[in-house]
Amino acid sequence: MPISSFMGLQTSLRGLLAQQEAMDTTGHNVANANTPGYSRQEAVLAPTQPFVVPANSVLTGAGAQLGTGVDVTTIRRIRDAFLDIQYRAQSTSLGDATARSNSLDQVELAFAEPGSDGLASQLSKFWDAWSDVANAPEDAGARGALVSSAQTLATSFQTLSSQLTTVAQQAQDEYDAITGPTGDVASWAKELAGLNTSIRDAVVRGQQPNDLMDRRDQLIDQLSSLAQVSVTDTGNSALKVDFGGVTLVDPTTPAGYSWPQTLTTPGGKLGALLDLASPAGAPLSFRSELDAVASDLVTSVNALHTATPFFDPAGTTAATISVVATQATVQTGSGAASGENDVAQAITALRGGTTDQLYGALVARVGVAVQANTRAESTAQSLVDAVDSRRQSISGVSLDEEMTNLIRFQRGYQASARTMTTLDDMLDTLINRTGRTGL
Amino acid sequence: MSMRITTMMTSRTTLRDLNDDMGRMSKLQEQLSSGKRITRPSDDPYGASQALALHGQVDGLQQFQRSVADGTGWLNTCDTALGQMGDVLQRVRELVVQGSTDSAGPQARAAAADEIDQLVESVKQEANVRYGSRYVFSGTATDTPPYALGGADTYAGDNGTITREIGPGVQIPINVDVSGLLGDGQGAADGKLLDTLRSISDHLRGSTPADADALRTTDIQRLDANMDVLNGVRADIGARTNRLAVADSRLSALEGNATQLLSNTEDADVAKTIVDYSTQQAAYNAALRAGANIVQSSLLDFLH
Repeated sequence: MPISSFMGLQTSLRGLLAQQEAMDTTGHNVANANTPGYSRQEAVLAPTQPFVVPANSVLTGAGAQLGTGVDVTTIRRIRDAFLDIQYRAQSTSLGDATARSNSLDQVELAFAEPGSDGLASQLSKFWDAWSDVANAPEDAGARGALVSSAQTLATSFQTLSSQLTTVAQQAQDEYDAITGPTGDVASWAKELAGLNTSIRDAVVRGQQPNDLMDRRDQLIDQLSSLAQVSVTDTGNSALKVDFGGVTLVDPTTPAGYSWPQTLTTPGGKLGALLDLASPAGAPLSFRSELDAVASDLVTSVNALHTATPFFDPAGTTAATISVVATQATVQTGSGAASGENDVAQAITALRGGTTDQLYGALVARVGVAVQANTRAESTAQSLVDAVDSRRQSISGVSLDEEMTNLIRFQRGYQASARTMTTLDDMLDTLINRTGRTGL
Repeated sequence: MSMRITTMMTSRTTLRDLNDDMGRMSKLQEQLSSGKRITRPSDDPYGASQALALHGQVDGLQQFQRSVADGTGWLNTCDTALGQMGDVLQRVRELVVQGSTDSAGPQARAAAADEIDQLVESVKQEANVRYGSRYVFSGTATDTPPYALGGADTYAGDNGTITREIGPGVQIPINVDVSGLLGDGQGAADGKLLDTLRSISDHLRGSTPADADALRTTDIQRLDANMDVLNGVRADIGARTNRLAVADSRLSALEGNATQLLSNTEDADVAKTIVDYSTQQAAYNAALRAGANIVQSSLLDFLH
């Protein structure tokens, strides 16, 4: 059976078109080489349906299949879903550690130890002032200096206490901002629901919505730093996303997502923020330890300063500690004589006692907490980096590779064009020069 | 198949390494510029709390030294005043010896008696000496002069003890009960210095042989006894001053030790830190050079 003279032209054309599409894909990859979350794409080339030459039409009597060229069957997104799961698990730990780091750094800075602005130094100055009063009990100046040094000390306690409260409050505020109606979770969940719809529609039509899928994966990555996430395919590439123990995005519901909800197992940044804002969290538990220091100071000084209280006996927290003694009511001795200094000496002897020790232990605990968290953060960071590196190794764009592909497809295009030129020459021979013998 | 290395991986790794190097350098730079190994509790939690305790200890030792200095000044004031009293007593003794001889006439004796009355006032004035604004001989009633000049000879202070703390739990009394030396005057007839001086003055003015007798015997004996008491008190003050001097040098030594320990705990070892810093800087420069070379080239550079 004869084959159409023009069939070869069609085959070459398919070659030209397929190489061009592959080059376009390479161009897309190169253009997105630095786009975060982008997965490289690959034009999958496959031979087209062959032309069947029926039986008995060739010499042997058998049939044959004549190749008709190439076609791009799909544009594939190169990505490893297993690495995504690993990345998201590590990203949750990193989100937790980073949120804690921010707060703990502030806590550590608030203490300002060791240094001349810290409470330890104010306490030391307070004992110095008592010692000066013990050396000069008659001197109104020494007593005045004592009272103002005590007031400075009380103010330092109050400032530190309120700074710790602020750190906890900031954690709560940040949690509220992220989970609020205009927060990240709400907007990302809404976008995810929209992407789910678009992706499902495209997949149903037989398309591969690579770039939409990249965007969706990127959003899920971002969610994973806030709380634990897990994803399930509900069919046609529409993903159900579980977030912190509750279902955040569900393509089977009309709205596609549901927020706000109460997270049952937050983890990640949101879990850390909730913990930091709670009374058992680092800032507030350090504050209650500071309260114990203040209470110890008030009790031990007042126990010796018996005539009138030195500190307000009701103010036994760091926030409420206050000096009620004045220059006139500072008690230097147990008797009335102006030169008596036994009370002042007894209070001076409190230096290095339980108050200082409690405070020193508190500072050490703050240091340990910050140090441990810094280590946890750096471990989580290296794990995230390692997984991300693996992921980049699979999905990232390598310019060397793309350039090689570009040359490959360019040569393919050139060769297809050459085939077409040759066929054209052949047809020229057939059409313009055949049957003109003797003319 | 070996791991595929992509463009973004290389640049990210380079950037992360540069960041880490920079972080370590800035930590070392902070240590160098502050001179401290510990600038935050998390640098070394145990060291930081130890540093706080040592700071407190150094402050406490300095305060003890101030107390010692104050106590020494107080005792020196007492000693000077008692020394002046001693001189006065010597003069009184000369007058008594002159006045008790038969050759001294009534007028000369009256003049001596007048001088002794004046000397009583100067003894009381010495007793009223002040350290700062405080009467050192009034016990704890430091705002009251112990004796009223030109008035009664009774002691107006109390017999409280004033102490200075010169070490943890170590207190040393720094005042002297001057009423044990001067007494409450003739009214009390206690045989102490003021009583003795007033009696001498009376006996010099009196012209009976009994008066002259008393001058030669009881008065001079009591005067000598009073001088012994005075010298005893001065010896005691000297001993206490010595104790304070010993305490002072011991406190200085302790402060030196504590400061040394504090420096070992929180100060940066400058030589080591500088070496570390240079090493880190070399690593950073190498990373920069490598980054500049690696990130720049690709196949693109060789295609035409």
